[in-house]
Amino acid sequence: MNPALEMREISKEFPGVRALDAVSFDCLPGEVHAICGENGAGKSTLMKVLGGSYRPDAGEIRIGGSVMRLTHPREAAQAGIAIIHQELSLLPHRSVTENIFMGHELVRKGFAGMLLDRAAMRGRAVALLQRVGARISPDDIVAELSIAEQQLVEIAKALLLDARILVLDEPTAALDDRDARHLLDLIRALRGQGVALVYISHRMPEVAAIADRVTVLKDGRLVWTRPQAEATIPAIVSAMVGRDLKDFYPAAPASAPGETVLQLQDVRAAGLPGISLSLRRGEILGVAGLEDSGKGQLARLLAGDLRPEGGTARLAGEPMPLGNPRRVIAAGLGYLPADRKREGLTLRQSVRDNAALALRAMRPAWARPGAGVFAKEALDAGLSRMDVRAAHYGQDIGALSGGNQQKAIIARWLALDPAVLLFVEPTRGIDIAAKAAIYQTMRDTADQGRGIIVVSSDLPELIGISDRILVMHRGTIQGELPRGASEQEIMRLSLGVAA
Amino acid sequence: MKMGKIRPQFSVAAVLLLISLVIFVVTAVATGEMAQFSLQGITGLLQRMVALGLVAVGQTFVILVASIDLSVAAVISGTAVLASWMMGGDPAMIVPAVLLCLGFALAVGLVNGALVAFGGINPLIATLGTGLILQGVLSAGYGLLGGSVAPAFQHLAYGSLFGIPWSVLALFGLGLAMAFVLNRTVLGARIFAVGGNPEGARLAGIRTGWVILTAHVICSLFAGLAGLYLAARVQAGTPWLGRDGIYDLESIAVTVIGGTLLAGGKGGIAGTLAGVFLFASLDASFNMLGIDAFLKQVLRGFIIIVAVAVHAIRGRGHVA
Amino acid sequence: MSETLNTPRVEAARIAVNAGLVLFFGLYAVIVLIQPNYLEPGLFMNFLRRAAPLVILASGQIYVILTGGFDLSVGAVVTFTVTAAALLINGDPGATWSVIALLYLMGAAIGLFNGLVVAYLKVPSIIATLGTMLWLNGLALAWSGGAARGDLPENFRDLGRFQWRDVPLIGTLPMAALVLVVVCALLWWGLHGMGYGKRALAVGDNPRAAELAGIPVARTRITAFVISSLAAVTAGILLGGFSGVSVNAGSGLELQSIAACVIGGAMLLGGRGTIWCAIWGALSLFALFTLLNLMGLPQALRDSIQGLILILAVGLTAWRTRRRS
Repeated sequence: MNPALEMREISKEFPGVRALDAVSFDCLPGEVHAICGENGAGKSTLMKVLGGSYRPDAGEIRIGGSVMRLTHPREAAQAGIAIIHQELSLLPHRSVTENIFMGHELVRKGFAGMLLDRAAMRGRAVALLQRVGARISPDDIVAELSIAEQQLVEIAKALLLDARILVLDEPTAALDDRDARHLLDLIRALRGQGVALVYISHRMPEVAAIADRVTVLKDGRLVWTRPQAEATIPAIVSAMVGRDLKDFYPAAPASAPGETVLQLQDVRAAGLPGISLSLRRGEILGVAGLEDSGKGQLARLLAGDLRPEGGTARLAGEPMPLGNPRRVIAAGLGYLPADRKREGLTLRQSVRDNAALALRAMRPAWARPGAGVFAKEALDAGLSRMDVRAAHYGQDIGALSGGNQQKAIIARWLALDPAVLLFVEPTRGIDIAAKAAIYQTMRDTADQGRGIIVVSSDLPELIGISDRILVMHRGTIQGELPRGASEQEIMRLSLGVAA
Repeated sequence: MKMGKIRPQFSVAAVLLLISLVIFVVTAVATGEMAQFSLQGITGLLQRMVALGLVAVGQTFVILVASIDLSVAAVISGTAVLASWMMGGDPAMIVPAVLLCLGFALAVGLVNGALVAFGGINPLIATLGTGLILQGVLSAGYGLLGGSVAPAFQHLAYGSLFGIPWSVLALFGLGLAMAFVLNRTVLGARIFAVGGNPEGARLAGIRTGWVILTAHVICSLFAGLAGLYLAARVQAGTPWLGRDGIYDLESIAVTVIGGTLLAGGKGGIAGTLAGVFLFASLDASFNMLGIDAFLKQVLRGFIIIVAVAVHAIRGRGHVA
Repeated sequence: MSETLNTPRVEAARIAVNAGLVLFFGLYAVIVLIQPNYLEPGLFMNFLRRAAPLVILASGQIYVILTGGFDLSVGAVVTFTVTAAALLINGDPGATWSVIALLYLMGAAIGLFNGLVVAYLKVPSIIATLGTMLWLNGLALAWSGGAARGDLPENFRDLGRFQWRDVPLIGTLPMAALVLVVVCALLWWGLHGMGYGKRALAVGDNPRAAELAGIPVARTRITAFVISSLAAVTAGILLGGFSGVSVNAGSGLELQSIAACVIGGAMLLGGRGTIWCAIWGALSLFALFTLLNLMGLPQALRDSIQGLILILAVGLTAWRTRRRS
């Protein structure tokens, strides 16, 4: 069979970086070809070349056997390539139909092709939504849909263009397990329809479950391409990081956890009819649940971003004032949000300023900016301890990798010496090596006598890192599982089946 | 048109319309000015909307693509001065003068659009800049550009059809046409796309720069029309006509009051015109109540803040 | 890694400051070429005296710009200050100081109003301060009856006009120049001598992240508007001193002060900038006005040249960043 897509010897250089070094890649119709690699390995550069956003310095791209020059996303789309990015490219205030047809509107005959054929678009939208298995109306406003539903709209957009090559960049990153499984089913269905699928993911079990072939990139070079049978998870991981990762998750602590540091007693808030939980010093407490289970609300509640409607909370022996981030921080909780770009970082400020953000917030506004805890040396020491890698700490944090950004945010909170750290999706979009470092940091900070809460949709991660796991369902805690619980047990509780 | 689809924008417009009507009716009844309810009274009320309405319809287009136009006041003055100068009282010159004015507005729109879309310049700065350049040239060259419009041209401002002024018909006709463009044409769909998610629109193959440029051209052309209308009203345009009317900032204010997001991608003409109607009925009510011009301005300032606050306050996000 | 750490801090801000500074010295050099006696301390001091209101306004405006907003009401605050001073003092030198205190109170109240509207009613600052501009101008007109009324006594006007003579080294020292230096030093300290400036930058860059990191976003914003208004009152007092009473004393100053910050390299909508952007930007703008006067260009063309410089300055920055990435 002829490949639907062939990329030969693609090279791309940026000032000072060889992002791609003669990488070859192909994908057959009706095949799922996964690309794995750490951040910076060249995956997204390769996909940007394919999508027409970057022009390669050398190499050629063949679509269906003929050589193509892709210089604009438009040309890639015309060539039958659709890329679904991590950052969804939807219009929040417009309808599903308008989103599906964005840039490719159907027009009525005549009128110089200016007039929209709205009935025809709506009709096709219904059919496309059915094909991707989305139970939403074409008239729904996108902002009111869940992330999973928005993702399906993105895929419907790609199907509209009859894409023969569909690239999915970390499509399950923002999805919980149930939605992710649904998506994988959809991918299988598309494969059956002869679409060539390029699948990029950091989630190894998914890659193992869905890929027909796996390609591993490292430092801009091709490591290998293997059929599924030969691409085991350990083989992929060691090819990605260039060594074996035996101790991916830190070992369980030797000593038993200490006194209770955080306690919620029947706390109620929007979407949370009543939460009771307790966390002890030295303990890592995992929180699992499907996307609509309320685990996100619980995180916001703990971070002071959601007003409580009743109940009591205690933190480090004192009553905990919920409903105001500043007071929650003062009480001793640090929050590391899932969406680092929107909620965690000030991207145009330096690494050092980002690390000093919480200190600056909690010390008086008139405290001198270059002295004491704000001294360059003090801040840099904190960043170095977290092993944040940057050209220099005066560099804008926006230029750093996700892993280094996350480490800088950890440094931000450790500067305040909080009693509890709350991580939400701590390693979303972070590559394998940095993931291991972050897990180790979480263990270390817990061992220093802090309580850690991890809210995550990544079940292997939760199982690997947590000493105890709470599973949420419909805004309440459905059950509790000890260290070493299985994915099946968590899923059962997530779906509302009693333990 | 399906109701579900236009619901959010429609409700802002309807509520504004209702509030405006209540204010107008209550004031008229309270002050015993029943003449306000005659055809003449109502058309008088609507005629107050024309100049600001035209500018605001154009402004809505640029705000929808997440841009903004501060040069409209200078464009208004420019077209008014050019129209008076070129006509010089001669009816034969009406058509050339109008063409010249629209050509001028088109050129400004092209420059604004190019600076914003292809020069990467913040739209506030780009259009403030072009506005200042125009304003300076106009003020400096005004001595050479005297004249007044042809009497026949004034028909545009004072003439009427079946008792309804031409200008009012023109405003609503054009408003309807532009609402049609926004909701039923490819251009409209792309305007919402570019304003709602520029990167997404680019990835969908839309030439975002050209859409922004088009929006700026439309905005400038509408400012030019407003300038022509004002020239017809005052006979001789001056370089301060637009600036004194604060058409730049007020057109932005009514657009935002009408529910269009400054961040782009959401809003529409109906809301904007309802915002203009609010201003017009408030103006008329202040007149009935005999409130002096200065106090009127004070109230206007507060009303802008309150009108925007009413729907902004529900937003959970931050604004700056 | 440690060997790469000791490189200088925020490079971008340094470049931005340099742009405004270079522009100012370039423009002043041209002034000196045309009129060499601008090199004399006396004329330079006079230049500073006349530039003082704009520089002070811009230095207040930069607070708001850093937090991601605009203050369109500063021109109206200047007008209101001049009008209110004339009406309240009405020629009585004994009333000057208490009225000035009252003016600052009013300024603080106006800034507080702007800040509260933006922070709690969530009205975008461009709209909120436009509203304030309208009502404040209306109030000034209503109060004065639409014409310049009242009188400013000597001791008030001296704040803008007075010059110490026979000062060693510089010859004359205008009071306004002294006020300028003191106010700018205070505003520098407010932004860079304490943590407030970093908070403001964080709020302008990403208010949501700032809030979740514990920054009191509303308080930071409100403070910025209050400081901008207080700076505007100061500018108004100086302008009243050397130009006297007028009902459009402040018209156009709001846009000039924003333009000054942008020319100096501050980023509109927040996240980048320093007080030096405001100071050098405003001095550049004023040097430009002076230059145009010296060249005998019509007053009206000032606007045009200002617009051109604005587009060029920002266009150049946009072009440079695009080339770099």
